[in-house]
Amino acid sequence: MKASAVRGHLDGLLLSVLESGPLHGYAVITAVQERSNGVLELRKGTIYPALNKLERLGLLRSVWESEGERRRRCYELTDAGRRSLATERSVWREFTTAIGAVLEPAPQPGQAT
Amino acid sequence: MSAPTTDADPIEAHVADLSAALHGPVRVKSRMVMDLRDGLIDAARDLSCGREPDHHAARQAVYEFGTVAEIAPSFQRELTIAQARHTARAVMLIVPFLFLCWHLAETWDGSTGHQLPDLVQLLVAHLGGIAASAAFLAAAALAATGALARWLPTPHQLPLLVAWTGTTAAVALAISALTLTLASVLATNWPLSAVAGVVTIAFHTRIAASARACRECARVTLAGP
Repeated sequence: MKASAVRGHLDGLLLSVLESGPLHGYAVITAVQERSNGVLELRKGTIYPALNKLERLGLLRSVWESEGERRRRCYELTDAGRRSLATERSVWREFTTAIGAVLEPAPQPGQAT
Repeated sequence: MSAPTTDADPIEAHVADLSAALHGPVRVKSRMVMDLRDGLIDAARDLSCGREPDHHAARQAVYEFGTVAEIAPSFQRELTIAQARHTARAVMLIVPFLFLCWHLAETWDGSTGHQLPDLVQLLVAHLGGIAASAAFLAAAALAATGALARWLPTPHQLPLLVAWTGTTAAVALAISALTLTLASVLATNWPLSAVAGVVTIAFHTRIAASARACRECARVTLAGP
């Protein structure tokens, strides 16, 4: 799936992979790809400004963590981020239900369900 | 930028190119670019299957992350908003502080029976009104680019509006400083007015520089794709 198709849902995807705990930028990228079985194509470099934006909005906070000799900036959800993720999920379910109802072929009259 | 063909480390070259293409607050820029660099190094290691990344892996990582032309606009948008927030914060904090300084200077002069000339007071009051409006707009811009942006989209032109708000506040402060400095010559308690004028000039410089940087960032962002 092209990166342009992902764009409108990027914030929700990033919040979702951070739900289970703090991750650094590249781990966020690989988590999105693994959870989508590699279907979602990301322009990986654009993740970093997106994380910065979510932090500016107060949905994420960043903390420094040491990994061997390297210090890495890790991102984690704030309470507002968890609430925003719940809203994103609810909106997404409504959206997919509505689109699915239109796209799926309607059952023919007399057809067993 | 396409992948470099020289022997230079492709990741370092890419990071340097990106950094050169971006305008905005140094700390925010450095932080985002260094995060990207860390990611590129991780990606190159992944592509090298855990071995020390070679030139080819580094080039592939750069390709997967996107060229400077592809990723710079999203970095620049964040930097422009960061610069707008810096400018808005400066206007919002400095202008009320200067109001307090001017009020103290005037009160002090009043208590000793020597008011600033009426014309000067009138002019400073008008300029103060302009600066106060600028401070109010700056506060609104800070809110619109902060928590409020969770629910409301940030207008593309907002950084430019903040830049011109900062410029207006800076001009108002400059004229006020000039007026106060001239008035200080007439006032009995001239050292106080002179100090207020000098403080105002110092803050004018601070706001004017931030507003100029904000105009530059907004221009680059609006000229982008």
